[in-house]
Amino acid sequence: MAETEHAGVEETLKRIEAQKGVIGTIVVNAEGIPIRTTLDNSTTIQYAKLFRLLTMKARSTVRDIDPQNDLTFLRVRSKKHEILVAPEHDFLLIVIQNPCE
Amino acid sequence: MSDVTAKEERKKRSTLVLRPSSRAINTSVSGIHGVHQSTRDTNSIIGCASRRCFSLAGGSKVLEKSAFQTPRQVVRVFDEEDNDITPQPLYQADPAVAQAKASRLFLDEISAGSASDQTAATGSFTMPFSRSILGSSRISSQSTIEFMNEEIEDTFSKRDLPINFPDVPGKRDTVKEHVTEDMLREVTDVYISETDSISLLDMPSTLASVDADDAEAIMERNNQYAELCRNRTGNDKYVDRSVQTLNGAAKNKQVQSDSMVVVDSATTVTTWDMYDTLISPEQCEELCSQEVGRADYPEAGEDASRGAERSVSVGSMASTASAASSLKEVETFGSGINAESDLQLIMLSERFQHCLLVMERSILGNTFQPKLAAYRQLPVTKEPVSVVEQREEDAESSRSPAVERLWAFSCELSRGRSVSSMVWNKKNPDLLGVGYGESGSSKQKPGLVCCWSLKNPTWPERAIQCDSAVTSLDFSSNNPSQLAVGMQDGSIAIYNVKSQDSKSCVLSSSECPNRHLDPVWQLRWTQQELSLTGGEMVESLFSVAADGRISKWFICSSGLDCIDLMKLKKIQNTKKKAGGAKTESVLSALTPGLCFDFHPTDSSVYLVGTLEGLIHKCSCSNNQHFLETYRKHFCPVNRITWSPLSPDVFLSCSSDWTIQLWKQDHHLPMLGFSSTQTAVCDIKWFPKWATVFGAVKEEQLEIWDLNLSILDPIIVQPAAAGVKMESLLFAAQTDCVLVGDSDGHVTVYLLKNLSVGESSQVDILEGILRSAAPEQL
Repeated sequence: MAETEHAGVEETLKRIEAQKGVIGTIVVNAEGIPIRTTLDNSTTIQYAKLFRLLTMKARSTVRDIDPQNDLTFLRVRSKKHEILVAPEHDFLLIVIQNPCE
Repeated sequence: MSDVTAKEERKKRSTLVLRPSSRAINTSVSGIHGVHQSTRDTNSIIGCASRRCFSLAGGSKVLEKSAFQTPRQVVRVFDEEDNDITPQPLYQADPAVAQAKASRLFLDEISAGSASDQTAATGSFTMPFSRSILGSSRISSQSTIEFMNEEIEDTFSKRDLPINFPDVPGKRDTVKEHVTEDMLREVTDVYISETDSISLLDMPSTLASVDADDAEAIMERNNQYAELCRNRTGNDKYVDRSVQTLNGAAKNKQVQSDSMVVVDSATTVTTWDMYDTLISPEQCEELCSQEVGRADYPEAGEDASRGAERSVSVGSMASTASAASSLKEVETFGSGINAESDLQLIMLSERFQHCLLVMERSILGNTFQPKLAAYRQLPVTKEPVSVVEQREEDAESSRSPAVERLWAFSCELSRGRSVSSMVWNKKNPDLLGVGYGESGSSKQKPGLVCCWSLKNPTWPERAIQCDSAVTSLDFSSNNPSQLAVGMQDGSIAIYNVKSQDSKSCVLSSSECPNRHLDPVWQLRWTQQELSLTGGEMVESLFSVAADGRISKWFICSSGLDCIDLMKLKKIQNTKKKAGGAKTESVLSALTPGLCFDFHPTDSSVYLVGTLEGLIHKCSCSNNQHFLETYRKHFCPVNRITWSPLSPDVFLSCSSDWTIQLWKQDHHLPMLGFSSTQTAVCDIKWFPKWATVFGAVKEEQLEIWDLNLSILDPIIVQPAAAGVKMESLLFAAQTDCVLVGDSDGHVTVYLLKNLSVGESSQVDILEGILRSAAPEQL
């Protein structure tokens, strides 16, 4: 059961990484340590650290306005790419995509 | 008697002398004279000196007794004329009151030394006596007190002072009896007066007035002093002498203590922090139960101790009721720092999977945004780069109706399979169910059902493998997650697409003895009324199969079971046998039914298309005879479909290259359409406009608009090379058409520039039909 689930999750991750325009995927654990990535080490660490801070700030902002609310998704669109962050309590999923490709 | 004393008194007129007598007191008890005399004597003794009083101490006992018995003796003074000029005491001591709290008060005054009336009165005199009183025995003190009382009374009689005479304590008990209620209630006047000033410190001022007597002396002295001061400087008489204070040697003493460790502690309080702390006791319980459950999760390659560690940390986390939410973010999920285990845990968590889903859809949303926007008829956001090119394209495209290819649902699972059926979910219009037939490769299972979501055109939400090629699909309306699948081997299965588990098959008809043994060509969930009076609508599953039976399925204990609605009997063409003897129609075999459709409003009436090309109209209530038979086609009827907008109008398409438009009450079709000489595989009405329908031939997609032309389709979309189009589906509320082909692709096309008005065009269709009607007669 767990094996197939794991396989399914792995498959989904691979599909995401293979999508059109996706530059990289990073999975960060609760401590801010990237545990799975498709980018090089320095970039990964930089993205992990910076987006963790940004996510915490964004979550704090959302919850300050209404404590019963919570952050579910964060998208940062820049000139060159779009960074999508799925924040959770114990992990962070960061995907960098270039949609205009 | 009195005269005698008076005479004595007159002798000593000048002075009122009270001559002392020593022991005459006792003897003079009886007589008044004696009494007076004795009192006089005793009093004088006392008045003279205190020491005499002491001398009397010896006879105190005797005196006491006498005192006990004798009443208070009053001194009387008589002058020459024997006038009683005894100075009256200004204050008559109340004997009862005095006796009551006699000695106690007296002693208190001595001890306290307070400047009360009594002490003031007796102060200067009691002091010497007090020593004696306290030192000596009680009895003696009492006697001296007694003496003193009398003395005081006499000597201070002139004084305007209330004197409270403490009496012998021994008398006190007896006196108490005398104190009656009246005495207590009696209002006693207490006079308070100022006492003498007691000087504690007297520093006389050094200032003297100029007018004072010794002012001159003072001034003289001052001047002398000033001169002295003046003469002092430079005078040999005065020598300066210095004095030095020797400072003692200082001794250093050092003390050392541990440095105080200072720890800075700060916290940022936010609104959500306070909210979390408030509801954290409840959440902690939930979290505890969740986390404990997760700790039990089977993890590949994890030590048991690791799991125990985690549960311990969970327990400790749960015990702390007040967990700051900022800490929650930093909290480690496990006690280890092993990234591998973290990854495993994270990846297996539900939330991660959900995150992945959302992420994938977001990414695809980015990629497919223009297409999806076009599908949903939203204004398409154009990339700034390609604006110029877009404009050129727009200028080129004419106003003619056309289809634009948006995207195609396809994945590697479905590649090589032919799309046999497509159906929209009744509840979620974004969900598409697609049934695939045989695959080219023999590796995979023969049948496949995919549930696609519009939000993800690259991978199906669900992919269910079936045991045989799928020939028909339908979603239920009552239970929107139930999908009925009809297969080539005749079995029908119902799947629940809500669950992630792709192996979940809710029901199957494989055990049913009545099941179809030939391919189920069409399935339909239809709502039917239970009773004729329009009771509740019950949904049932109907199927038509190649064994010529139309069955109604219902769920029983062991799966599905069916009852036959109709058996499609072969009907011979009676015209052929008209000349000969009338023979009954040969009910040999049943003819396969290929398609059926229920009337949109009257769900008990349905049409069936057969392999022979006949179309029968049947009723659910009559399972023996057809209501009507429509003959036109001479090849298998591939599809029949009622018009959703125009009543009693239906279309049929057949392998004889034609499409026929029928009206219910006419035996012959009203209109027939043909374009190319290939079989028409599928036909569907356009849901929005009554005059538009689409048809799929193997090599092209045709869109017909009867308003514009009844001879030719208005849009023709050729199939991709090497691919045959197989099925067709229109999307509600959008202008899109989906085409499934033999390569497993479901292509979505957008219909553009259909020059149709706003109305549903029913009247136009009616008009067309009416104009066509005379031809059919």
